[in-house]
Amino acid sequence: MAESNAAIALEDPERVETEAGRVSKIIEIPEGAAWNVVEEVMLQRRSIRKYKRRQVPAHLIRRMLEVGRYAPSQGNCQPWKFVVVRDAEMIQGMEDACVAACKKLSSALDYASYPKGSAKHFITRAKAKLFNRLQPNMLHPVPMTVVTAIAEGRFAVFHRAPTVILLLMDKRGIGTPEIDIGICGTNIVLAAQSFGLGTCWVGFAKFLTRSPEWCARLGVEPPYELSEAITVGYPIGEPTRLIARDTHEITWFEGGKRNTLY
Amino acid sequence: MALLSKQERRHFPDWDDPTQCIFHRVTVDLDKCDGCKLCTLVCPANVLELYQESGRKKARVKTSQRGCISCNNCRAICANGAIGATQANDFVGYYRQLGRGTFALPRNF
Repeated sequence: MAESNAAIALEDPERVETEAGRVSKIIEIPEGAAWNVVEEVMLQRRSIRKYKRRQVPAHLIRRMLEVGRYAPSQGNCQPWKFVVVRDAEMIQGMEDACVAACKKLSSALDYASYPKGSAKHFITRAKAKLFNRLQPNMLHPVPMTVVTAIAEGRFAVFHRAPTVILLLMDKRGIGTPEIDIGICGTNIVLAAQSFGLGTCWVGFAKFLTRSPEWCARLGVEPPYELSEAITVGYPIGEPTRLIARDTHEITWFEGGKRNTLY
Repeated sequence: MALLSKQERRHFPDWDDPTQCIFHRVTVDLDKCDGCKLCTLVCPANVLELYQESGRKKARVKTSQRGCISCNNCRAICANGAIGATQANDFVGYYRQLGRGTFALPRNF
């Protein structure tokens, strides 16, 4: 086996191409060129949280799920299942279930909603600090303010969207199926952007799993887990102004040197 | 060399303490605001409102900006570029942000 592998490594790919008469073209993109259509879609996408009431045509949702189906996954395991909800009443029911869960969580852990120095503040803060250590990603200060906002009816979980897509993950997926779900959802969201639709990732949809009734109705049962939801609808206005974003450290190794770029 | 000290890794900042958790601040430039109301409509946390002092209605940030998730949708929707942000989210301790440069629009390389 080792011998044949070595032979493949020694082969010059371009010579093989030439001999086969199937030399693939290389697209030359000059420095500083304008964005291509795919980059434009990617750069103009933003999470839309208010939608027109008009329903999205069913065939567009099907098109989005088609590109989701073609997403890369580890070992080509495709660990996803989609649930599409397009009835306003049902989405409202899901909203109510999430609000109920947020009320419980907020009163148990959000010390900011109690006056400083009060016994309630002291107890909830102690619980939150413990929970912070156990699940630091779940109890970040930003989502916590939203949990309370949802509990108080100041923030809608599913943004009153006409269509909600739930991404279910087969937890037997190869490696880290969470990442595969993220890639699949990204395909879905970018296709939607190219149709002029707005989308938003809704992690709070996981609160639905606190309700056995909703799990049963939506088919969230082992080996499937509710991973994320994506709301879909036509955005209000033209949310097209690009906003400057953080730049992030890039470590660049080349020519025997190590550089830091942003 | 650790990017977060041992002390920082243990310290979960109090989210009701403005010295430990500094949240994104939204500002409205009243000279540019034409009172179109769209920002108050798209804000998911409902922290913007219209008010009238003299003349045209203008948008403003409500007294409490609690619930703002720095989604910047108000800034993206404003045709006049009247909405800005003076402060990005900033946390001490465990959630301290690392490896960030300055803000930038998409750059053409």
